[in-house]
Amino acid sequence: MNSSFLWRNRVVLTSGLLLLLSAHMLTTGVRPRDPAARPGEALMGVLSPVQSASAHLVEAAHDFWHDYLALVEVQRENQRLHAELSRFQNERARLAELETENRHLSELLDLREALGMRAVAANVIGSDATGLSRTFILSAGTRNGLNAGMAVLSNQGVVGKLIATSGSSSRVLLIDDHNAALDAFDQRSRVRGIVAGVVDDGLTMKYVGRSSDVRVGDAVVTSGLDGTFPRGLLIGEVSRVERQGPGLFVNVSVAPAVDFRRLEQVLVVTDPPPRIIAQDQD
Amino acid sequence: MVRLVLLFAFATLVALALQTMLPYWLPLGPYVPDLVLILAVDLGMRHHSAVAALMAFVMGYAIDALSGTQIGLNAFMITLVFLLAYELSSQLLVTNVVVGMLAVFVGVMIKDLGSIVINSGFSGLANYPALMRDLLGQAAVSALLAPVVFAAMARSKKMLGLLATGRREDNSTGKRWLT
Repeated sequence: MNSSFLWRNRVVLTSGLLLLLSAHMLTTGVRPRDPAARPGEALMGVLSPVQSASAHLVEAAHDFWHDYLALVEVQRENQRLHAELSRFQNERARLAELETENRHLSELLDLREALGMRAVAANVIGSDATGLSRTFILSAGTRNGLNAGMAVLSNQGVVGKLIATSGSSSRVLLIDDHNAALDAFDQRSRVRGIVAGVVDDGLTMKYVGRSSDVRVGDAVVTSGLDGTFPRGLLIGEVSRVERQGPGLFVNVSVAPAVDFRRLEQVLVVTDPPPRIIAQDQD
Repeated sequence: MVRLVLLFAFATLVALALQTMLPYWLPLGPYVPDLVLILAVDLGMRHHSAVAALMAFVMGYAIDALSGTQIGLNAFMITLVFLLAYELSSQLLVTNVVVGMLAVFVGVMIKDLGSIVINSGFSGLANYPALMRDLLGQAAVSALLAPVVFAAMARSKKMLGLLATGRREDNSTGKRWLT
């Protein structure tokens, strides 16, 4: 009787046990850095060559598509001009791509020199698996000296921090993810707050007092107090300040300085930032 | 059973690679199809075994490795969607493509809403209209892609000699817990 009941409900019972196990993992807070997350790191290692290969494949397909369009346009030209034009267009596209990449890398190099800290450049090779969280996959990992917790920057400003690494790839939690938070201040008025991501895009600056002098257009920069990001890096600018309603704090929306959808190369700071001791805010 | 596990493991790897690459190369915005969830619905509707439940859990865990910060969140939601698909197919006499598409649509809504509430609490739903527009879009895109994925899986299973296309797996004669 009992074994028959267990047999009939084996799928439900197994699923229930697995739901309990995943709920246990959720409540005990298994983080990407914990030993329980090791199989996940191995999976990242398995997928990163596929992602790199796909990135090259899509780039080749993109070039091919542009070549095809160019060929349609010069269809009435004779064969010699056709071939020559195609060759020049290919060359130009390749040079333009090289020039863009060179410009990005030069900007990253300037940023690294300005920071005065050691840093590693990496390409963005993948996006978040669900689209609900804001994470990117980078082409560099522990073999390049990267570790979880390191700051990730672009020439436009702060991008995020590494949350998981494998030998050849790593995952960045972007600052506009709803689980991200970093210590920051208004560059003009020196008012401090915590900049955090919100579910429906954008950033918010929390714990800003009602009497604080924060205005639309003010630059928001890192304070360096969170032990991850060096001080004075641009996060974004204040896009809205709402003082209506009850409560001790005002709602401050911040437009990120970085266009996360267009990121191709980033800089990962491998040196820990210098320690800064917080001073009381009046 | 080993062939089925290997097939779904391979399909999950391909689905994860696509899910992480597509948003980077195409302007999909929030409308990224949830291919792994479609695979979980296929498992729940056609494979009534404890191993299938375990596979759904591992598929969710694999998503956790490539998404978000909380290990277990997608494992929980994908297992839940598998269970719902299993219950749905157990109650219905017919499990055709339309039922599968509906299951995927509802599954994506449940998974995404559940993930947001577990992750951020009900404050995550503050911007309800915009959020629902994105979630409905993602659910619709996933449901529209579901027949393609179901057909590809059915063809692969047929090639591997696993079961006839479109038919539900019958384990009523078996006596082992895992089959």
